[in-house]
Amino acid sequence: MNSLLGHGLILLALSSATIGSILGFAAGRSGSKQGLQWTRRLAGTFAISLIAANVVMEYALLTHDFTVKYVDQVGSTASPTYITIVSLWSSLEGSILFWGFILGVYLLGFLVSTRGKHEEMTGYTLATVLAVGTFFAFLIAGPADPFGAVQPRPDSMHTGPNPLLQNHWLMIIHPPALYLGYVGMTIPFGMGIAALLRGHLGPSWMGATRRWMLIPFGFLTAGVVLGGWWAYEVLGWGGYWAWDPVENASFLPWLTAAAFLHAAMLEERRGLLKAWTVVLLLITFSLTILGTFMTRSGVFNSVHSFTQSAIGPTFLVFLAVILVISVLLVGLRMHLLVDEGELGSPLSRDAAFIVNNLLFAGFTFVVLVGTVFPLLAEAIKDVKLSVGAPFFNQLSVPIGVFIVFLMGVGPSLPWGRATSGEVFRLLRLPLGISAVLTLVAAALGMHRFWPLVTLFVALFAAIVALRDMVTPVQALMRRRSLSIPAAAVLAFQRGHRRYGGQIVHLGVALAVVSIAISSSYQTIGEASLKQGEVLTINEYQLRFEDSRNFREPHRDVLEARFTVLKDGQEIGSLGPRLNRYSGQMNPIGTPAVLSTAKEDLYLSLMSVGKGGASAGLRAFVNPMVSWLWVGSTIMVIGIIIAAWPARRRRVEPGEAQDDPTEGGE
Amino acid sequence: MTTKPSQGAGVSWPTLFVGMSLVLPLLGILLSGLFHDPHDLGNPLEDKAAPRFALPVLDDGKLLSLEDLNGKPAVINFWATWCQSCPMEHPVLEEAAREYGDRVQFVGIAYEDKKERLSAWLRQANRGRPSAYPTLIDIGGKAAVAYGVYGVPETYFLDATGTIRAKKTGPFLPYVDPASDGRLELRRIIEGLL
Repeated sequence: MNSLLGHGLILLALSSATIGSILGFAAGRSGSKQGLQWTRRLAGTFAISLIAANVVMEYALLTHDFTVKYVDQVGSTASPTYITIVSLWSSLEGSILFWGFILGVYLLGFLVSTRGKHEEMTGYTLATVLAVGTFFAFLIAGPADPFGAVQPRPDSMHTGPNPLLQNHWLMIIHPPALYLGYVGMTIPFGMGIAALLRGHLGPSWMGATRRWMLIPFGFLTAGVVLGGWWAYEVLGWGGYWAWDPVENASFLPWLTAAAFLHAAMLEERRGLLKAWTVVLLLITFSLTILGTFMTRSGVFNSVHSFTQSAIGPTFLVFLAVILVISVLLVGLRMHLLVDEGELGSPLSRDAAFIVNNLLFAGFTFVVLVGTVFPLLAEAIKDVKLSVGAPFFNQLSVPIGVFIVFLMGVGPSLPWGRATSGEVFRLLRLPLGISAVLTLVAAALGMHRFWPLVTLFVALFAAIVALRDMVTPVQALMRRRSLSIPAAAVLAFQRGHRRYGGQIVHLGVALAVVSIAISSSYQTIGEASLKQGEVLTINEYQLRFEDSRNFREPHRDVLEARFTVLKDGQEIGSLGPRLNRYSGQMNPIGTPAVLSTAKEDLYLSLMSVGKGGASAGLRAFVNPMVSWLWVGSTIMVIGIIIAAWPARRRRVEPGEAQDDPTEGGE
Repeated sequence: MTTKPSQGAGVSWPTLFVGMSLVLPLLGILLSGLFHDPHDLGNPLEDKAAPRFALPVLDDGKLLSLEDLNGKPAVINFWATWCQSCPMEHPVLEEAAREYGDRVQFVGIAYEDKKERLSAWLRQANRGRPSAYPTLIDIGGKAAVAYGVYGVPETYFLDATGTIRAKKTGPFLPYVDPASDGRLELRRIIEGLL
């Protein structure tokens, strides 16, 4: 029954997407209102049937209907209910179905928000989104069909979803956050294609596209960071980022989306970089598909390639179609997107934004090349090699530092042009303060070059961001004689985009300092300890007490207990583990972490000797790691503020528009 | 991004050229990736003489060596009691061992394990029936290292001359679907040895 219902809904989704897409392109071309109306209806049908198909699958999972292929594959009557719910995205077929759910939700949001608006653009946008939807509905209907009716396997084989996914709660929210990020990029992609096909890009469409990009950008930011956090809490090698191909795959669209969000401001404000802005939309979407391909094709060796599946070739064809059509469209249509303004002088915010975009593009290119290079080497010379962290670090640190520096320069400079005297006046205070603070840090014992440089640029950017948030408040207080809170509220209401953006910058500044310091000043200690023996690392002493073996439903656990002393005082106890999962010979460690604002004490169990009498321990002291999670949270909050819909308001005559990002909407 | 075509100009050839020269090689590289399995560590011992071993048999402690198997194709299954898919694979191997009888010698090699646990495990898995083939205890994991065992279960297939002809990583599982049924796969490989 569930099988039949699921198949029916997917077929409905597939047919409405196909017809809607064709109709949408026709309506976009002819401008037919009726055609657009029908496209919207079909888009709605597509969205609702995909959402309903997901409801059916959840129902089948929760009722353990093992006659449904996907339930037979990942279901287990022994799994706790929350694991059963999230097993929807624990495996290939389910996650593609879930992809459809998210697209359905985004699409409904888009339909509601564009009701009676932007009619000349929505036809093409919906057509593009539905074309993408056709591909995914096709995948769900055929190559990755989760609804197939099967003879259930014997119950002993219903072991539940991939044990790694059941290992930690972060794994439950990391994939959906990433998916919300990836899938959401489909809408701005459609909007960019519409701009190309119409040959027109105005500030109001740009503003709408920017908002539709901000939402998935927020989720993608969260998803990338959650992935790093998960790796840190679970994998036990003491770090949070390894430049793994699939990590890179999630970082690539983040970079180009960030580039877009900045380019879009230049477009909105000055009418510049129109074609480039659209190109960034297309690249970002293509990179999300590339990322999905990397995760799901089994082409890359990574902790993420859970599935070796046959849909790799299908995805590659889809990626090829998107890339080739995108290049053709840009080549054929970009001449219609003519810039309206003139680029300001090299000393202007315009110029800072352009350099920022060049750096983001360069960063993307470096990461992309590093990621696919092993494939190239294998194809040409038949050697297996991996591009390690040193390559990425060597290139990404300077680029990142430069981007953060511009994060301070850009908001300081006026649009258009500035004199060098003006630039000096605007920059001297933040540069001065951050130089002094950096020297203080050096005096306190920070001597390495790149961490100091990073600290300097991050402080500079943070001070500029703070100044940028305080200045409008001061101006309002002066002009209107308001109290501080009243002026702050008014300033925030008037320029929430500016505030959102600057809060993101503060988060980035905090995050990069944390990354620089935690990766440069990590201390590692290693020892094989007998019971009662102590490993000293920095001011910590770790005393091995004992070890115990126990069985959890999906794994065998070997846990070693360590008492943690700091300067001789007992401050707690940590129990790093080795977990043995079914079918894997090498155990997977679960580290134990003691987090403080200053640093993390991170214990990873390497081995336990015969009878539990000795333990091989790897201990790390990772300074400032918690601040990475704090900084990332601040970034996401800032993105939410920036994406929040603006209240319609009247601009009072004679009142200067403070908001640097506000276009002519 | 700095290309600024004059108004009315049509196709931007430079954009097309640059775009395609970025996109097509990327697609080519990804395509080539589909033909390589990054997880395939290969089997460097394929078509080479199987590493020799002489290990105690679980039941009586007598040594059984590779030479004792010669003259007959052999199926060597590395497993362990702590391995979670081994209980599902075990009946498949037992059944095949009985079916091929004297024509093929099945051998289990227990990896990183204890004698008592092995006996108890086998008693339970065989439900009182005697084992269809002997289990050897790999002291210190030397045989596993010699064969390059990466994970358990892992199964090596030797022809009558003692040459390794095939290797299976992971368990042979009894699936209903013929395409993924380990019972059929196991028989296919064995038929190739005979």
